[in-house]
Amino acid sequence: MNIDLPYTIQPISELPGHEDRAWHVAWNPTKPLLASCSADKTVRIYAYSSTSNEESKSIPTYAFKTLTSIPTGHAKTVRAVAWAPSGETLATASFDSNIGIWECEKVDDMENGENDGSGEWECISTLEGHETECKSVAYSSTGTLLASCSRDKTVWIWEVHPDGEFETISVLMEHSQDVKCVAWHPSEEILASASYDDTIKLYIEDPSDDWFCFSTLSGHTSTVWSLAWSPVFDSSEECTSSTHGSGGPHSHSHATTASYLASASDDTTIRIWKRIAEHKWECVLVLGGHERSVYSVSWCRGVRPAFTEEGTYLGWLASASGDGKVLVWELWDPPSSSAISTPPRHKLIASLSSAHGVHDVNSVVWNPRSGFEDLLATTGDDGCTRVWRITPSS
Amino acid sequence: MTAWPAGEPPSPPALSSCFLELTQHTHSSGCITSAESVLITLQSHTEVLTFLAANAALSRGDAQRRIPVISIAPQSLASLAAALNASAASSSSRKQGVVAEVTSREVLRRVQAFCADVLGFEYVFDTTFARHLVLREHTAEFLERRKASASAKEGGEGESSLPMLASACPGWICYAEKAHPEMLPFISRTKSPQQVMGTLVKSWMGSKWGRTPDGVYHVSVMPCYDKKLEASRKDFYDEVYATRDVDCVITTGELELLMREKGWDLSMPVPGELDGTRCSPSDKEIATQPELPELLQHPGTSSGSYLHSIIEHLKASSETRLTLSVKMIRNGDYEEYTLTGSDGGTVFKGAKCYGFRNLQNIVRKVGRERGVRTGAGAAGRLGGRVGGRRNALRGGGGADEEGRKYDYVEVMACPGGCVNGGGQLKAVGDTGGQERDWKWGDKEWTKRVEETYWGEQNVETRPTKTLEELAERVVEELCGSDVSVRQRMLRTGYRAVESEVVGLAVKW
Repeated sequence: MNIDLPYTIQPISELPGHEDRAWHVAWNPTKPLLASCSADKTVRIYAYSSTSNEESKSIPTYAFKTLTSIPTGHAKTVRAVAWAPSGETLATASFDSNIGIWECEKVDDMENGENDGSGEWECISTLEGHETECKSVAYSSTGTLLASCSRDKTVWIWEVHPDGEFETISVLMEHSQDVKCVAWHPSEEILASASYDDTIKLYIEDPSDDWFCFSTLSGHTSTVWSLAWSPVFDSSEECTSSTHGSGGPHSHSHATTASYLASASDDTTIRIWKRIAEHKWECVLVLGGHERSVYSVSWCRGVRPAFTEEGTYLGWLASASGDGKVLVWELWDPPSSSAISTPPRHKLIASLSSAHGVHDVNSVVWNPRSGFEDLLATTGDDGCTRVWRITPSS
Repeated sequence: MTAWPAGEPPSPPALSSCFLELTQHTHSSGCITSAESVLITLQSHTEVLTFLAANAALSRGDAQRRIPVISIAPQSLASLAAALNASAASSSSRKQGVVAEVTSREVLRRVQAFCADVLGFEYVFDTTFARHLVLREHTAEFLERRKASASAKEGGEGESSLPMLASACPGWICYAEKAHPEMLPFISRTKSPQQVMGTLVKSWMGSKWGRTPDGVYHVSVMPCYDKKLEASRKDFYDEVYATRDVDCVITTGELELLMREKGWDLSMPVPGELDGTRCSPSDKEIATQPELPELLQHPGTSSGSYLHSIIEHLKASSETRLTLSVKMIRNGDYEEYTLTGSDGGTVFKGAKCYGFRNLQNIVRKVGRERGVRTGAGAAGRLGGRVGGRRNALRGGGGADEEGRKYDYVEVMACPGGCVNGGGQLKAVGDTGGQERDWKWGDKEWTKRVEETYWGEQNVETRPTKTLEELAERVVEELCGSDVSVRQRMLRTGYRAVESEVVGLAVKW
């Protein structure tokens, strides 16, 4: 435990159950649900609740329980999961080269209530087209587009239609090797992909034609495993920030458009790429701290500290690595007077060793829901999903 | 040709060359299977030169000496002509001169002169008459399938036969055989123009020359690398004479390279090139000369007008007036064509669908509509979990106009079709903008090749009576009235190919 850091990473829950390594995990953006996937070809859905005593401002307690285990029918490992922004649909990416689209059947006796995910999960569609292992899948911010990538070196963009119909919008063959990750910009229709060819590619649509790669980000000296865009802060959220954080209404103006991209690499570093023009990103910062391959990176709003710093708060960035560590950084935009390519100010605020014992940590994902931004989930080669909370060191 | 960079763990070689050709035009860097890469490297312009040199060294009377024939695709002629015009335009703009545009016909004459005088080919044809035979057979097959489909609907036996999908694009065939075997029953069994040309040259002309198929060496010039794979299919190998219908395929680019290497200037006119189509045989063209109609235009698409020839037939043979309407679906590469009767009912619905992404959507649409499972293995199991809910949501599937299933789809793997094939010449000269745009440059260039393809004025575009009589006579001489011979001469078949997945333990 690093006592010098201002925050600690506290264990909240351990969710075992997968019979093989747990690859990836995704928090539902609208409901208290969490999905994990594994080499055992299943997806596990967990529900959670929190009890916090508002009057006493006591530390909330969380309860996590397994709702169901979906035997997906995928013939091989389920490598990644992604929720649609509505929270109603889950996508699975499998080494069997297919993408599965899943929805939960509504249970009759909760006709008027919310679909709490406890019903039967059905595969409403299967997206075929990739030739080999699918590595990652992601919904765009509006939920109208889905991106997938594969060891076949391609990135596909699918248009989401009603009733589980999908249309192939683009097949992008820009990478020279296995594509590991796809990530949509949180507010614009910009897609990023990361590859075994050590590069990151950015794509936009030419309205009169196909999608195309408008930029290639080079700098990593080995495989790029994971990508995370900096989160969007909107002003309404400022006033209702975390109920159990130290926040409150702020007078600071927050960034309204995400202008950073973080990438995690086998070269043990995390790079921060800054938008310096509309279609131009440049590496402004290289974060070290891991001793082995960095497999996963996640960026969320976090909990803004009470003290004020000059510049714009950019949230928390978490990384997970083959060295078993999880690291969390707090980032701030440099003062607006500084040059465009000035890196964001950064501070390591929390660190956790042996997050999954001796095992690799395969993914780290922040909870995106308001009020739960200090929750983090990790998955490891031990088959476990673990939930953590970032709390101020006392 | 290295399929992947040395030292890298190979991805499974499942992406076929066609897959790459479609959008990338970087054929040789793609991961095609090693067997396919051998088939392609065996067919090169140097291979042609090697053969011609060895053949010419044999004495006239030697039985081993073969008749060298070369056939060139109309899209290749258009590509060469467009490149000539583009470079002439960029140099004449400096000289303020006006240069007349070179047509496909003039290019054909110059290529004929080059192939005959410089290389020593005895015959140089274009492939449009073969295409004419293909279109006739293709339409006949469509009518057969429609009839079978109608009888199946009335309770009769019969496999799913519609929609019929075009078969001329080898990229599409190769992809379907590897990735979508469930589409194979729908793919037209009619041979492509290249392969019918092969049959014409080796069997029909060969017999007129008193030669067996192995006594003729046949080269074709194509806009597409995957035509090399097509020519190598075992269906087009004559076991009796141990020879292929097309011995070697070279691309437009390889022909251009060949001319450059031999110092042939394609911009220089050759005598008689403006005289129009060949009508009087020259000295060389003796009585046995099988004269073929040249540069036949088939109105519709520059990829062969497969869809339009069916539409034209349906219109011409209908007792009532049919109205054609065209609807763009996503862009010019995906359009729907509907024939409507005077009573407003839909008689025919077809589509033109080019490019890999549109092709994906067609595969899914046809699979869904015709109830064939797409993909294999895991997909089926996943599908097994699909509940009744989605089907209920879809409703009973009323056959309204919008919902009418396709009868025919002209599928081509390359965006823009064959004029934009992977073997065509690259964009030449200034295509408009101040700064050459890597992205829009190609599209603009494809448009110019397309214009050149249709460019020539005063060309008879309707099949004439004499043309139809000749076509009938040729088919009669080739096939007689024997259905099985006709199947062999004009049709072919397809097989699902197991993808050669590398059995490496994949951790990631």
